[in-house]
Amino acid sequence: MHGWTGQFLRVNLTDRTYRAEPFSEDFARKWIGGRGFAVKILYDELRPGIDPLGPDNKFIVALGPIAGIPAPNTGKAVVAGKSPITGGYGDGNLGTRVAEQLRKAGYDALIVEGKAASPTMLVINDDKVEFLPAGEVWGRGTYVTNDWIYAKYGKGVGVLNIGQGGENLVRYAVVRSLEGRAGGRTGMGAVMGSKLLKAVVVKGTKPIPQADPAGMKKVGTDDLREVNRIDKKTGWSIQSTNGVLAWCNEVAALPVRNFRKTHHPDAWKCDGERLNNARIATYGCPNCTMRCGIAIHDEAGRESELDYENVGLLGPNLEIFDLPLIGTLNYMCDDYGVDTMSGGCVLSFYADAVDRGAAPGDLRFGDSEGFKKLLTAIALRQGEIGNILAEGSMRAARKFGHGSIDYAMQVKGLEVAAYNCKFIPGMALAFGVSPIGAHHKESWVITFELKQSVRESYGPEKAQKVIDLQRIRGGLFEFIVSCRFPWIENGWPLEHYPKYFKLVSGLDWTLDDFWTVSDRIYSLIKLFWLREYPQTDRRLDYPPAVWFDPSNVDTEGPIAGKHLEFDKYDGLLQHYYDLRGYDRRGIPTKATLERLGTAEEGRAAERYGSLT
Amino acid sequence: MTITVKLIGPFVQLFGFSEKPLDVPEGTTADDLIGLVSIDKSRPKVVTRNGRAVVPGEPLADGDRVVISPIYSGG
Repeated sequence: MHGWTGQFLRVNLTDRTYRAEPFSEDFARKWIGGRGFAVKILYDELRPGIDPLGPDNKFIVALGPIAGIPAPNTGKAVVAGKSPITGGYGDGNLGTRVAEQLRKAGYDALIVEGKAASPTMLVINDDKVEFLPAGEVWGRGTYVTNDWIYAKYGKGVGVLNIGQGGENLVRYAVVRSLEGRAGGRTGMGAVMGSKLLKAVVVKGTKPIPQADPAGMKKVGTDDLREVNRIDKKTGWSIQSTNGVLAWCNEVAALPVRNFRKTHHPDAWKCDGERLNNARIATYGCPNCTMRCGIAIHDEAGRESELDYENVGLLGPNLEIFDLPLIGTLNYMCDDYGVDTMSGGCVLSFYADAVDRGAAPGDLRFGDSEGFKKLLTAIALRQGEIGNILAEGSMRAARKFGHGSIDYAMQVKGLEVAAYNCKFIPGMALAFGVSPIGAHHKESWVITFELKQSVRESYGPEKAQKVIDLQRIRGGLFEFIVSCRFPWIENGWPLEHYPKYFKLVSGLDWTLDDFWTVSDRIYSLIKLFWLREYPQTDRRLDYPPAVWFDPSNVDTEGPIAGKHLEFDKYDGLLQHYYDLRGYDRRGIPTKATLERLGTAEEGRAAERYGSLT
Repeated sequence: MTITVKLIGPFVQLFGFSEKPLDVPEGTTADDLIGLVSIDKSRPKVVTRNGRAVVPGEPLADGDRVVISPIYSGG
């Protein structure tokens, strides 16, 4: 078998055992890697109803067939498990040297089971696995932990680690790597923390199996140079992702004041121009030639690496427009290992709830000192409010009551990304049907809505576009495991990916073949949710109620007087289900499962919930 | 009539301004405007007029705000 190492590494922290497990070529072809491997393993091995923060959950690191091979932009890994914040399937991806090192060690995925007796660092060195004490850095942030690991093993190793957020089981704690990378905002840092797993360190020395290594090397390195040339021409990485902030502000899509407002006259103060001007360093993932991590000095003079999601949700969303102050909140999230996006939404939700008398306290929007203190209380689970908010906005709203769930900005429990869909129906659908909760990585459809469609439309063309983008972004890039930015930001053609796949695996696939795998993976994620929530229905795919609220409309600007219309949204959702072959609950029908090759998994799901 | 043109992202650095008013003749369309600010028409971009998609060929009106942005995917 070319293209895959053909082995998983299974580690049990409870009894400190490990073994290499072979997988078949049929399995590899059916699920490809990354998210595909992760959901299949979790679906087959997790008993429905387990506590995601208990020892029965599993922490998966999954790679794809081109992961770690020099080519655009392959230095990424998927981390996955049952999500503590949604209770469904959860994953995320992050840039890390683990992508290359784990494959060189001989594995396409790492499966971590059980719970350690004390804080532990897992060290994988080819065939050898060590369970080393990590008590020295337990209770410390991710920066100190990363440096501690580098001091022992050098900077060439692959590292995943968590901060206090993960240790304290903050439900939106992330996994961190390198200088500024984070992933797994569905709470994968808390899953590591629940296992007392402080860090994973990987070093490998073996060749990665490839059908045509010389051909791949030439094509991959040529293409890395070409992507760099294109990026220089387009200028995308001058402002990187934060370039979009000014655009969101112009088209009334910026989250301001817990998404109550869609634009703000001070937004320019933290836009891409200002971020580029404040730049002190640039960071990127391995195998990347269009690096997007712009670091600035925060108010304390520390390096803080920002992107649009961080700035949007920790800035305007909190009515903070000062970049160094935003940088400080971002640094704190990164050091604590708390998701900047959910963190921003939880902070804004609380300020909104206080403002409306639904929650106790005196925190106000714009109060950066208050937000800093609250962020610390959340990460360290200090005090009643810190503990409530560490559970995420959905659970906090249930606690506070007074209708606050309507403006807890989340879907399925996961907080929304920094696109205010008060009047963007297709993007609201994209958040609604994202299979891990509200996340922009699955289908970023705003550009289509404002370029090739009509903003007011709730027509099937938007549902189809959401599906098309899910197949590429939530499918291809998550199972072949590669960054989507060369394609979406710099127009790198998708046709390169079947070419890379053929060079490593020898398999001559088309993009249509990949879309079938994408749909298969989405269908299995849906079955995972059905098993966990047998009474599931379409309400799980509704966006926050405040977007439908006529009393919440903008009073001026491009969408003055506009809001999402519920019946029309429901119709758009039905278009999506019809096009996907899902029933009215949003569950794949038996015929769809048969077509996608997941009928057997469907029969297993029927022990818990019904299929139509 | 006067139209405000706002550039987004790297277009600011590449074309040398962030936002400026332009006096243009009646009947000017967004497409004409793109030519006036020297942006290659073949370049992928999103153009909005007062926060909404531009209708091809539609004349602009005095006081309009036209935003020209590269295509983004978010963070």
